[in-house]
Amino acid sequence: MNDKKFAVINPCKICQPMGAILALLGVKNAMPLIHGSHGCSTYMRFQLGRHFKEPVSVSSTSMSEANAVLGGEENLKNAIKNVCKIYKPEIIGITTSCLSETIGDDVEGIIRLFKTKNEDLPYLVPISTPSYKNTHVEGYDSTVKALVSNLATPSKSNSKLNLITGMVSPSDTAEIKRILQEIGIDYIILTDTSESLDAPFDGDVSFMPNAGTTVNEIKDTANSYATVSLCKHASSAAKFLEETYKIKSISTYLPIGLQNTDEFLNEITKISNVEIPNKIQKERGKLIDAMIDAHQHNFGRKVAIYGDPDIVVGFTRFVMELGMIPSIVCTGNESEAFINDINEITKNSKDKPVILSGGDLYDLHQEIKKSKVDLLIGNSYGSRIAGAENIPLIRMGFPIYDRVGAQRITCLGYSAGIKLVDTITNTILDRYFDEFGWALDEDKEVQNENLKNSCFLN
Amino acid sequence: MVLNLATENRKTEISSKDGDFDIEVKIPNYIIDTLKSRESHMCVSGKSDSIPDCDKNSAPGMITQRSCVYGGARVVLMPITDAIHLVHGPIGCAACTWDIRGSTSSGDKLYKTGFSTDLREKDVVFGGENKLYESILELNRLYTPSAIFVYSTCVVGLIGDDIKAVCKKAQEITGCRVIPVQSEGFKSFNKSAGHKLACDAMIDYLIGTKEPEEVHPYSINIIGEFNVAGDLFGIIPLYEKMGVKVQTAITGDSTVEKIAKCHHAKLNIVQCQKSSNYLASKMEEKYQIPTIKVNFFGVEETTKSLRAVSEFFGDEEMIKRTEELINSEIKNLRDEIAKYKKDLSGKTVAIYSGAHKSWALVSAFSELDMEIIMSGTQNGKPEDYQKIREHVCEGTLIVDDANSMELAKLLKEYKPDILISGAKEKYISLKCGVPHCDFNHDRITAFSGYNGFINFARVVHTAVMTPVWRLSKKMT
Repeated sequence: MNDKKFAVINPCKICQPMGAILALLGVKNAMPLIHGSHGCSTYMRFQLGRHFKEPVSVSSTSMSEANAVLGGEENLKNAIKNVCKIYKPEIIGITTSCLSETIGDDVEGIIRLFKTKNEDLPYLVPISTPSYKNTHVEGYDSTVKALVSNLATPSKSNSKLNLITGMVSPSDTAEIKRILQEIGIDYIILTDTSESLDAPFDGDVSFMPNAGTTVNEIKDTANSYATVSLCKHASSAAKFLEETYKIKSISTYLPIGLQNTDEFLNEITKISNVEIPNKIQKERGKLIDAMIDAHQHNFGRKVAIYGDPDIVVGFTRFVMELGMIPSIVCTGNESEAFINDINEITKNSKDKPVILSGGDLYDLHQEIKKSKVDLLIGNSYGSRIAGAENIPLIRMGFPIYDRVGAQRITCLGYSAGIKLVDTITNTILDRYFDEFGWALDEDKEVQNENLKNSCFLN
Repeated sequence: MVLNLATENRKTEISSKDGDFDIEVKIPNYIIDTLKSRESHMCVSGKSDSIPDCDKNSAPGMITQRSCVYGGARVVLMPITDAIHLVHGPIGCAACTWDIRGSTSSGDKLYKTGFSTDLREKDVVFGGENKLYESILELNRLYTPSAIFVYSTCVVGLIGDDIKAVCKKAQEITGCRVIPVQSEGFKSFNKSAGHKLACDAMIDYLIGTKEPEEVHPYSINIIGEFNVAGDLFGIIPLYEKMGVKVQTAITGDSTVEKIAKCHHAKLNIVQCQKSSNYLASKMEEKYQIPTIKVNFFGVEETTKSLRAVSEFFGDEEMIKRTEELINSEIKNLRDEIAKYKKDLSGKTVAIYSGAHKSWALVSAFSELDMEIIMSGTQNGKPEDYQKIREHVCEGTLIVDDANSMELAKLLKEYKPDILISGAKEKYISLKCGVPHCDFNHDRITAFSGYNGFINFARVVHTAVMTPVWRLSKKMT
């Protein structure tokens, strides 16, 4: 692949606790508690805050040198007490870190004993997220699974569909909820950040999500008729419910673009035994109309896509629908599922993308230097590559810290697809066409490089 | 604004500990409701014993604004522009801190790249030394940097990787400086321990390792200036106009070579006294370089800081040039400041930031006719709070290690017209309807020196005067 084997340069992944926190921020009245030293919670709050532009609370057991030697049990117990006293959560998600995992604190055991000695405690959910294993994507997955496996309680059937969104934006979750409502499907979202991470201003700050999936809803997931996970990397909870409570489990591609959304809607309407309403059909028609209007500009353009595996897979299929060529796809996860998905999507295409699984942005940059692309799709960190190679970047995924509105970027479903077609096409027009709308030839492109570059950086 | 809070009476009214739980005590004249153990961390200046309890472990479970020792070391060394900053640990430590300090560079951009050894389970079991060694060799081959700083993180401290030995061996093989920084995150609750480790790394491995070709008779180093948003570019030209040569800033916009040669400077001036007094005293000890403490926030403090250097050198010509420079700079400022002051006069300010800023900004605000009603920091030591007490008026709240909830309560209770802090507190503040000015890593405007002060006034003015605060009032 390239001449780098050991170090990671400009990471395209984060550690497990980050994913855990994101999942917990979609649960109403939940407090994430990281069992580790307080740098972990502080730096993650910083990253989440500057992406969502919202206050983010993550508590810490504030472990220090003495705990590293003697164990962190006392800190964990005191942390639970203090969190209860000050923040009064309904549920505390207790995630481990590399520190507490390595010293071998038995978080589950400590909590079990603690529960027997204290009454009136909130739900305490232990989540194992060693930072040296896997990435934030698996951290998210384990957290949703931990929530379900600790709380789900079978009782009577509820006629609801469980839906695991994966790490999508708050407005993506809102859009999925809208689609389900249009179709008339009753649902439980795991987990719902649509309100908590895109909160209105009312002069007050809430320290825990004051909206989102409720504990009762999580309990009720054992009584739904099926679970659909929109991300193949976030399907453990669905599999758990299937194995334990015989709840049917389905995993689809993230519904980005036409075919992915088609398949998603087919799956959920089939399993719910309902029809796709006219309104949604019309949205589909409008998306196709937008694709027709745009095809002259986009066809044959090469794209590099990087970020979380399911988002990259979703976008890969979408840009192919637009006649674009996904030249390079990159994710930080070492994932067979990712490689298989990309191979499956591109099997009938004559242009096979370079697949970087377990890659970083250095690897991506090296590949871009080898085969020039016309467009980048990914998070803010790619702006350096965009600047260096003079390629436009459409910001998607996490983190987006250098633009406003990350919480409002929607890419799921037909309607969002229409806006995406516009964004992609207008980005191409801005960069590769002159002020009169005529295509720039390659020489002119080079001449215009400085001008375009400065426009881009603004 | 003077708050007549009878703080000294509170001690007698606090009930004893009840079982395992801290008890919330409501007593007359309290500042805000919080855990009992946290009450002594807030006080009001002007009282006999008015510095808060401080320099203690954070209560577990509180949402402290503190970071870790690794973070402390990282922020001090990170602005060295032509070095590789390699984080030896799991990916999160590097992924969450990569390029978060808004230090700008006039040259190399290597420091903005995120490097990690990405330790995995296998490495934690069998040790990460080999991976570190190979990573250093690989990065040296790919970038030929001036130096490679290797930061150890929590897990590295636990598994006992001997990063010093690895760095030494890698340095012998590569010929590149490879500098270990033993900054395990859990080492202390106070990230200042990390600042100290970073300073130790420079003293032990960098400063004095290269001889300068010539030594300017009036050469200085600016220590504890990290060139956030280009602050240095408002300071260095002033000294150059005075005829003073700035050998290097430590570490803003610096290079490995400049720092290696900085030990012949005639004077060290210290800006961020929280992170860098230690380095200055070490250099005084080792190289007999005297130290002057300076402050470039505000017109008065900047002027004092320029004069202090010219007076130190005692060169008549320089003193004359300095006075002329000050006069010509200040002349241009008055009208600009007056413009902002008109709107800002009488407005109140809360500061919650690094310990240095918690008192160093006080004078600058008084130049805008604004009043500090609260000042606090997450990592303060008694001497820092003493400094705050000396700088603020009677009745100012002084707060140590406030958590998110306390901050929000303080903001809502005392309603400052603006909060000065960093990114973590920013959205708490804005959601409470309190305007905010980022004085930390995410800052995008230079605030130092004379022109910086105008920028600062403009940013504060923008925050306070934006119509959204008027429009956001509830409909009645």
